[in-house]
Amino acid sequence: MALREKYRVAVDIGGTYVDAVCYNQESRKVHFSKSSTTPSNPVDGVMKALAGLDISFDEIDILVHGTTLGLNAILQRAGAKVGLITNVGFEDILEIGRAAVPPRYMYDFQYAPPPPLIPRRYRLGVPGRMNAEGVEVVPLDRDAVVAMGDKLVNTFSIDSIAVCFLHSYRNSIHELQAQEILQKAFPNVEVSVSSDISREYGEFERTMTTVLDAYIRPIMKSYLDEFQVRLREIGFVGRLQVMRSGGGAMDLTIADRAPLLTVLSGPAGGIAGARYLSHVQGWDKTITFDVGGTSLDTCVILNGEPGEVHEATIADLPVQIPVFDIRTIGAGGGSIARFDDGILRVGPESAGAVPGPVCYGQGGIHPTITDALLTLGFLNPDNFLGGKVQVFPKLASDAIRDDVGNNLNLDIQESAVRMIQILVAKTVGAVREITLERGLDPKEFLLVAFGGAGPVLAPLVGLEMGMNGVVVPALPGAFSALGMLMTDLEFDYSSTVLEVLVESSLVNLESVVEGLHQQAKTMFHSQGIFEGEYEVKVRYDLRYEGQEHSISVPVEHGDTAEALEERFGSMHFERFGHRMKEQCEVSSVRLKVISEVEKPEFIRLEKDSRTVTPRSKRRAYDFSDSMIKDFEIYLRDDLRFGAVIPGPAVIEESASATVFFSDQVAIVDEIGQIIIRNKKYES
Amino acid sequence: MTEDVLDGGTIEVVNSYLVSAAQQMRRTLIRTAFNPVIYAVLDFGISIYDSKIRLMAEAPGITSFVGANDAALPKVLNYVGVENLKEGDVVLLNYPYWNSAHAYDAMLFAPVFHESSESPSAFVAVRAHWMDLGAKDAGYVLDSTDMHQEGLIFPGTKIVKEGVIDNEIIELIRFNSRLPDLTIGDFHAQLACLRVGERQLHAIWEKFGLPKVERVVEELIDHGKRVAWRAVQSLPHGSWSAEDWLDDDGVTEDPILMRVTVTIDDDGMLVDYTGSSSAVPGPVNLPLGSTESMAKTAFKTLTTPTLSTNAGHYAPLRVYAPPGSLFHAQYPSATFTQWTTMAAFELIYKALASVMSEIPASSGSDEPGFMALGRDPRTAKDYVVSNNEGIGWGGTPHHDGASGQMHISLNIVQNTPIEVLENKAALFHLGLRLLPDSAGAGMHRGGLGIERHVQFIADGEVLSMKKKTQTKPWALNGGFEPITNSMTVWPNTDHPKQMRMRRASMKLGDEFINVSAGGGGWGDPLKRDPLRIVEDVLNGFVLRKSASEIYGIDVGIDGSFTENFRRAPGLPQE
Repeated sequence: MALREKYRVAVDIGGTYVDAVCYNQESRKVHFSKSSTTPSNPVDGVMKALAGLDISFDEIDILVHGTTLGLNAILQRAGAKVGLITNVGFEDILEIGRAAVPPRYMYDFQYAPPPPLIPRRYRLGVPGRMNAEGVEVVPLDRDAVVAMGDKLVNTFSIDSIAVCFLHSYRNSIHELQAQEILQKAFPNVEVSVSSDISREYGEFERTMTTVLDAYIRPIMKSYLDEFQVRLREIGFVGRLQVMRSGGGAMDLTIADRAPLLTVLSGPAGGIAGARYLSHVQGWDKTITFDVGGTSLDTCVILNGEPGEVHEATIADLPVQIPVFDIRTIGAGGGSIARFDDGILRVGPESAGAVPGPVCYGQGGIHPTITDALLTLGFLNPDNFLGGKVQVFPKLASDAIRDDVGNNLNLDIQESAVRMIQILVAKTVGAVREITLERGLDPKEFLLVAFGGAGPVLAPLVGLEMGMNGVVVPALPGAFSALGMLMTDLEFDYSSTVLEVLVESSLVNLESVVEGLHQQAKTMFHSQGIFEGEYEVKVRYDLRYEGQEHSISVPVEHGDTAEALEERFGSMHFERFGHRMKEQCEVSSVRLKVISEVEKPEFIRLEKDSRTVTPRSKRRAYDFSDSMIKDFEIYLRDDLRFGAVIPGPAVIEESASATVFFSDQVAIVDEIGQIIIRNKKYES
Repeated sequence: MTEDVLDGGTIEVVNSYLVSAAQQMRRTLIRTAFNPVIYAVLDFGISIYDSKIRLMAEAPGITSFVGANDAALPKVLNYVGVENLKEGDVVLLNYPYWNSAHAYDAMLFAPVFHESSESPSAFVAVRAHWMDLGAKDAGYVLDSTDMHQEGLIFPGTKIVKEGVIDNEIIELIRFNSRLPDLTIGDFHAQLACLRVGERQLHAIWEKFGLPKVERVVEELIDHGKRVAWRAVQSLPHGSWSAEDWLDDDGVTEDPILMRVTVTIDDDGMLVDYTGSSSAVPGPVNLPLGSTESMAKTAFKTLTTPTLSTNAGHYAPLRVYAPPGSLFHAQYPSATFTQWTTMAAFELIYKALASVMSEIPASSGSDEPGFMALGRDPRTAKDYVVSNNEGIGWGGTPHHDGASGQMHISLNIVQNTPIEVLENKAALFHLGLRLLPDSAGAGMHRGGLGIERHVQFIADGEVLSMKKKTQTKPWALNGGFEPITNSMTVWPNTDHPKQMRMRRASMKLGDEFINVSAGGGGWGDPLKRDPLRIVEDVLNGFVLRKSASEIYGIDVGIDGSFTENFRRAPGLPQE
């Protein structure tokens, strides 16, 4: 990759905005542009955001793209018309699923799940069966594949076909045969096969994963085709990459094979950014705190490595793809306050993007967290999140008075304070649970805040939990897009093996690794990346016999079974508080291949001992002293390395604001990040 | 704003911390438990009580464990004596008649002391299913006839004294258990769970002060009472009864009568099991506390389904069962197989169905799973696997019942994937499907049951886990009854056998078919939207013949339809 053009660009389509971020590789400066999403034709909004960067597009080296298009299609159930081909006699696996009711409906005796994504008559079985060892018990009936394909395509007019067979994680030959037959017989129909996307066991989860891939495939394909055409029109000649859900970007050819891998790319951008910062800054324990209009997401990052899992849930549907272990712990700024017979409740109802908070004046009636933040003086009504949105503070305070204050006998300000306190109490509880799951204490963590409202709330949560500090990185309001510039080319391969961990099984495990390595090699070669230009990380998923959950253990060259068992044992102790005497088994082999990409190198700022002067003052509520005070208002652009700003104060910037209190102090570090700590620890 | 006024916002702030304390105990238990019955099947219940033994917050695993500790704690405190408790003590209880559970559900509780008081200011409690305490059979006991066949009993024993674990008791457990490491491991997990609860309570007291927390708890319980009373008062007043049958007690084949009378009046709701069978010899009897738990869960679904629970929510509920009856077992009645709580769960709904329009038809009776065990020739190791199977839920006034969904008494538990069963056990699936025509027909039909056809690929044993196969789940408002739970071993041979809750030895090549019940139908099938019937026929969920004969709709191959007798004069029009 000798080519070195001037710019690297990332563009991220979110629910409300498209963020485009540009890194100038010469000046090492970053700038960004925002535009509204254009649901009727999403490419328009993206092109507009790109145009807003005001650069010449032929000088772009790499453009990384993240999109919620696939996700939205699933959430709104607006995907393609899909047919499923599977084992005869097992056509209902997709509908039976795991039979469990989502926990939030635990006491609902009328609960019924939404209808299956594919009605029964479009789920067709063909003879052919592998057993658990991957040995063929019944050969694939090729004629039946053609006949069923014909029925789906010509009788039912489906748009795309999903293929998934039992035990295909062990032996995918029937799936590959069916794929070949279907592509040949029906060249105009998209086909998704499970073994291209997931090699994990669990027939329902793998079938659903394949079906969802087929569900979004036509949409993603036509979108990406149009995007490429439009990019060419404006002179773009660089490499277009797509952000993956588990961090890392990939070339379009890979996205084409399994578009589902991109489905959670938006939130992944922020985590990728926080991971990179953790590496660069040497932070060992961080928790991300991403607060947007509709959700509050967190992810634990230990020693620079975010938790990764191999299954996510979208609208209660499982997807077996590698993703960061992101936990949604609340509804974010849109959480609605409601009076419940003497008690004030906040959430789980959310005003969402539409109608949004009351202060947007778009029809919201019930006060939200955003309305409370505005009422308490934390947000600037004249320059709300960078001036993109006009807000009406009076509407917000009236709603708080009517819905909360009048019922609780509190004034507007106290009412807003209670709303925030409740949100903080719930958030603190949820964060404690997440760290406790790993046997850790949240006090040892740094909270990394981004998303428009992340920096507004994070110092308050950090104060409440006695955390090690709160970090507000550059461009918190477009951090997801920024994070996409900080990722490598990455890809994951895995294979379910289910093998007892003894010395004699290592040879077999290594041959599985070798097989995966060959796949990776082929994939990278096709992108012009050769051996030595990428790194390979091997992990085995280990567990004690009889357990269902496993732990992904890093494998080093020459590891003995004993060494692996010991490493697993100590990780098991860390995670679950005990070790067991049972035999270990390997459930999966995982290979991650990473081709490193040059990341934005932050300018190390010169120390500047001059005092920064605030631009103005605003009355706002100080949570340290429980009273209204004058907050000094700073502009982030005015801050230099070494600046020390005692709370209470607000630091405003485009698309976000950092709010901290009289117990706290903000310090600006050498790459321009704001670090907020308790004053006690900073003298 | 002075600190003395307690407003509704502050109440919720403290409440959030209390609920979070219970949730953190839950995470800790799941994280550190050794056996999958705890971390996957969620057989546990976690509760936090105030000094007056009133529930402040809880984190149940499955619904069967709602309020499970509530009945046990006062009884065990009475036995131990509150005055004998010291800081750091942990007490173990599994005596079924006090503990409101079978002997393998071990409850541990710890008193929590605030510096200002000599007596406990709170209690934290956790019960969880232990793998073995030396009952007559390994695994599950299906035919015990008194408590002493069901394992080692602890009546309320200090297993930790002022922070020091009593090793003699641990050794007693070790020598009485077939699986001592797992059992003692789970004891430690429960201990860790209690310690997290204690720490969180201390943190909450430190942050808000004990007096303020106590006042908040009063307010929360008052609020719970208000909400629950209001909900009960909005229910119809009167008295209604319902009956149903349990297959047998595992020892004889005689059906067992379950009867409930629900009375709602200005005094609240009384759930009375008078008229049910006397306690039976086999292990299906319920301690009163289990009966109360079951009634509490049903009551919660009817009154406060979305609120995190405190003692106030149950204020309007009273539960009665005559001592010595099926629903109020007394020493030494056998109580090991607690399937009665599942089969009886919907009785309260059944009683109320005639007057409450929101009640759905029956959701398939009980959880109809199976266990399989044997030696796997591929690994030369013994295996034990189990699967909880979904059932058809009842049709409701608003929609069809869910198909193949877990029974409400354990509705958040998952089934076991085929690919897991076939890897862990010498089993091979021949089919798994939603069974056509298994649902009760109706304007809103029941959900479909599941048919699972399995072959043993080595000698082994199968356990059919179901206690309601002989009588049908009920329908409502003119809907039809569905098929029942069943298991047939050796199907398609000249010697098929219907199983209830029994074991059968299987040889290589032997098969079984496990079928879960459909849901009861709601409303007259003739009033069903014809397009839904067409949809069901095209999807194969309702056979053409049934569509014609039961629904009065003849469906063509192309999805066209004609009505036959459904519009005949005298039949109600839509």
